[in-house]
Amino acid sequence: MIPLPIQILLTAIAAAVLAGVTCSLIGVFVVQMRLSSIGFCMSHAAFAGAALGLLLSVDPLFTALAFSSLVAMILGPVSKKARLAPEVVIGIMFSLTMGLGFIFLNFTPGVAATQQALSILWGSIFSVSIDDIILLGLLTFFIVLLLTLFFKEFQALMFNRKMAEASGINTDLFYFLILFLIGITVAFSLKLVGGLLVFALIVNPASSALQFMYDIKKVMVASPIIGAATCLLGFYLSLLVNFPIGSSIIIVSSFVFCLSVAFSPKRRRG
Amino acid sequence: MWLERHHKLALGDALMGKVVELRGVDTIYEGEHLPAIRDVTLEVSDGEFIVVIGPNGSGKTTLLETINGLLKLARGEVRVFGRDMTRYSRVVRKDIGYVPQDFMSDPSAPFIVKDVILMGRYGKIGVLRRPEARDMKIVEEAMRMLGIERFADRPIGKLSGGEQQKVMIARAIAQEPRLLLLDEPFSNLDIRSKKEIAGKIERLHDEEGLTTIMVTHDLLSIPERCDRMLLMDRGRIVADGDPAEVIRRSEGAGLLLKGWNLK
Repeated sequence: MIPLPIQILLTAIAAAVLAGVTCSLIGVFVVQMRLSSIGFCMSHAAFAGAALGLLLSVDPLFTALAFSSLVAMILGPVSKKARLAPEVVIGIMFSLTMGLGFIFLNFTPGVAATQQALSILWGSIFSVSIDDIILLGLLTFFIVLLLTLFFKEFQALMFNRKMAEASGINTDLFYFLILFLIGITVAFSLKLVGGLLVFALIVNPASSALQFMYDIKKVMVASPIIGAATCLLGFYLSLLVNFPIGSSIIIVSSFVFCLSVAFSPKRRRG
Repeated sequence: MWLERHHKLALGDALMGKVVELRGVDTIYEGEHLPAIRDVTLEVSDGEFIVVIGPNGSGKTTLLETINGLLKLARGEVRVFGRDMTRYSRVVRKDIGYVPQDFMSDPSAPFIVKDVILMGRYGKIGVLRRPEARDMKIVEEAMRMLGIERFADRPIGKLSGGEQQKVMIARAIAQEPRLLLLDEPFSNLDIRSKKEIAGKIERLHDEEGLTTIMVTHDLLSIPERCDRMLLMDRGRIVADGDPAEVIRRSEGAGLLLKGWNLK
């Protein structure tokens, strides 16, 4: 096992827990509202944004946030105006943002920048600073607060958007709020697991929780617990066998998902 | 009492006359060129019980979704309770109970029945406010009325189609609507349940004077209280009046044979 100074270890553990909680809370919306392709596109847009931030020597967090939010905001109107299925627009945006990301990285000079570029791609929990932890903590608090304040609107939206609209809820407002939350969650979690893997951290814990529960309120509690636990386990695994941390977290969370599917009472026949 | 009288009275005099007014309305679905309903003019008075019949694709569902503002107009004007639906649809919808056609939830959906029914009240409860004891009591009453109390804590996806249909009707009723829009409410029900639900819808209309517009294919389940019938064909209202007369006209025009699922 790799020995680590206690401060770095504690910072990394805090980052893993906070990212696990935040991503998997948002993941409940992504999975239940079938937003996987939009979220996947947003995580790659965040990667391109962060790469642009490196190129321009701007904090990659802000450019990642701007890119992922921009993608979320233009996906709907573009597919509507162009009369294309959202999946077609998402597919094109996905490859476009990946292409842009690699072009930005290609033009980013210097070895230090290359290190940072790699951390955007694959994540680097040890590059997480105390400031990042505070930001992640604030984001987690912000998301939990919004979920508490608007739980009934989010719940109705997750059940059926048309029915929520029919009962007088402003579904467009809450739908875009969810997209915005996905965008900031992805941007804030980039440093931990990287742009290529962050989306698995969003989808896997929520999908695992949904295998066992029939009440969305319980899912909203179980998903962040599973998310935090898988992040910690993944972190421990990476220290144990010297795997990249992002990849270890995703391997653990995917394993947990497979176990959940195998033991899911929802899948039992008869 | 399901609908509180004071709630109705709070509407003001302007609302007590025409509940629904459509003038020269065309509704076109996105990506389509031809309107799903065209040049529809309709007035519905307070307390009327209207049944809408017509062949498949004649625009019955579009008519309901145009009335509650879920679909945007291409032309014309829709007013509900005297308010323009292009501007105030979200506010007005809080008072419109809507039961969609063929609603079926995913079997693994993480939503329990009493929560789904309570969701009908969310628009009325308002943003940043939590459901209170009164809301829960209304939900319980709606479940009792539909005979589904025993399903309260069960996942909705685990219920049969007919049971889910009852849940959606209970949700609409729990909304304490002033206008009830029912789109094929008997489609997933067996004969006994059809009669039972039809009786409950009638009771609601009789006791509370609830204005009701119901789309159906099922002529045998049309409640006796139905005092007016609309016949739709190719997006237009082709007959409007006494139910027996409209059915006679639809038979005469051969519409009963044009893809009509006469059960």
